[in-house]
Amino acid sequence: MAELTRKGLGGFLARQGILVAFAVFMIAFAVANPRFIDIDNVFGVIRSSAILGVMALGVTFVVIGGNLDLSVGSMMSFSTIVVLDLHDKIGPTLAIPSMFLMTMALGAFIGILVGYLKLNSLIVTLGMLSAIHGLTLTYSGGKNMDIADKEGTWFAVFGQGGIAGVPMPILMFAALAIILSIILSRTPFGRKVYAVGGNGVAATFSGIPRARVVFMTYLMSSFCVATAGLIQASRSMGSQNTVGQGMELEVLAAVILGGASLLGGAGTIFKTVIGVLILGFIQNGLLLLGLAFYAQYVVTWIIIILAVWLDIAAKRGGLWSRIA
Amino acid sequence: MKISTKLALAATTAMFGTAAFGEAHSTYTIGITQNNVGVDSYQTTYEQAFIAAAEANDNVDVVVLDAGGDVARQIAQMEDLIQQEVDAIIIWPTNGEAVIPAVRKASQAEIPVIVTNSNIAEQGFDFVASFSGPDNITQGSRSAEIMCDRFKDLGIESEAQVVQISGQPGYTTAIERAQGFEERLPEVCPDVTLVETQPGDWNREKSQQVMEAFLVKYDDIDGVYSGDDNMGVGALNAALAAGRAEGITFVGATNFAVGYEAMGRGEYWGSIYQSPVDDAEAALQTAIDVLDGEDVPFLNYFDTPKITQDNMDEFTKPVF
Repeated sequence: MAELTRKGLGGFLARQGILVAFAVFMIAFAVANPRFIDIDNVFGVIRSSAILGVMALGVTFVVIGGNLDLSVGSMMSFSTIVVLDLHDKIGPTLAIPSMFLMTMALGAFIGILVGYLKLNSLIVTLGMLSAIHGLTLTYSGGKNMDIADKEGTWFAVFGQGGIAGVPMPILMFAALAIILSIILSRTPFGRKVYAVGGNGVAATFSGIPRARVVFMTYLMSSFCVATAGLIQASRSMGSQNTVGQGMELEVLAAVILGGASLLGGAGTIFKTVIGVLILGFIQNGLLLLGLAFYAQYVVTWIIIILAVWLDIAAKRGGLWSRIA
Repeated sequence: MKISTKLALAATTAMFGTAAFGEAHSTYTIGITQNNVGVDSYQTTYEQAFIAAAEANDNVDVVVLDAGGDVARQIAQMEDLIQQEVDAIIIWPTNGEAVIPAVRKASQAEIPVIVTNSNIAEQGFDFVASFSGPDNITQGSRSAEIMCDRFKDLGIESEAQVVQISGQPGYTTAIERAQGFEERLPEVCPDVTLVETQPGDWNREKSQQVMEAFLVKYDDIDGVYSGDDNMGVGALNAALAAGRAEGITFVGATNFAVGYEAMGRGEYWGSIYQSPVDDAEAALQTAIDVLDGEDVPFLNYFDTPKITQDNMDEFTKPVF
């Protein structure tokens, strides 16, 4: 009986190692500074993480499908700059759909290159990282974009609004996470994404349109990026050209931290959300500890590697691999 | 590295070609390698002003390059400019230490190097003809004075607590402004405490997050000093969202349009007025003076005055 319980606990740990790691960090930070779990702080961190999180949701699809997306950071800068610029030119009602259309056109372009032309996704999206950044700078002429009349517009609702005390970015993040989670786990399309990422050749022989599935993952990723850009723009009502720069790696870190396999075929939306929250709370926790900031870069990555280790250790039932 | 060198060379050759053949009667060819045009409006305006100033002067041709924030690319651009045997090189360092070997190489090739905007580290001074730019330590101390004067007006100079949001770690401008502020504040307001410093990386969004954490951590914040107005406005946004902006004195540096507007609304107290146009024109003029053989001082600072809600009418709104 006792052994059964331990097995049950062991089984739980193996399945949810990352969740346990998350709980451990939360308790440790809360002990170090009780304000860490102050409701305002928790909401603040989730709200800040929502932008990264929304992007990570889309990238989860791409990664499970067996590809990478390194272009999301500069694509987010692009959508933020575009929506802010168009806001003052054609008004928010038209600016938002236009921005979504333009961003998703970029996603579709990447989808064609990787899906239909079968080009290596690392090279394509690495190239697009620079290309889109250049496009953004060309578009803006390098200038900061600011909404001229910040009071007289409803545009602020996506970044600064809220329902029943819950900030809007959190609601959008949660809603998108639920919808995408259902698509990934409950629909034929979701299963095709796993199949294509798990074994592309086998998927093709099973009659799954591999190219179209990959194309769709990039289209979904760009939709998520556009949503993130909308939240970002609405939150600060103005932006630099470099707003998303470097976020592609944080997004990828969150997705991998959540346990999605870089080789494709494995991962869930729920675990990506946990990965996003771990990253957000670590950064906030270290700030509240008042650690010297040079050390923060180091500690952040030590914690991430520890979390991944805990996760893998739980899965294989030992800290060290038994196979040399 | 090889690829980037080749790319830079190709780009340089193309630009140099148009510059050299465009005007027949030029006397000086001056090359500039900038830090990261497009990263913010200051640098964009600087580039435009620099090109405009060069075009207005018939005796000067310019080769305008941008390192895109990349040290390796900037070093390659320096080497290209040396190969092209330009008459003088202006450099806006991406990194005050790493570019020194490239600057030395130019100096050995007897091409005078003028450093613009942010100086290189001291061990490289021997290879530099002149520095042209703002005095960031003075800017930091002036910000401290603005903050202290405001505290005295409010009568809280004996108890006020200040947090600082600094620029990108490792960046000379960030280090010098922080140094100027930290040294001057206790001289003018000995009872004010600087409780914590965290970097905002010259980034409005990052700075907003840092300020959110400060607001959670400290119940009593009377002043926020930011390394530039872009970050200052990020901090202001965080305080506004938390409903705590009312009691906080925000002081920045490099007055941006957003900072100027926030001052107009009475939410942001003061800053340092620094014009990228002055900066660019001073750099070009310094290079010309060096080439003309004039006696140029090593440090050419252009003036960057204090601006607050009280005197902002004397300044035009920054274009960036």
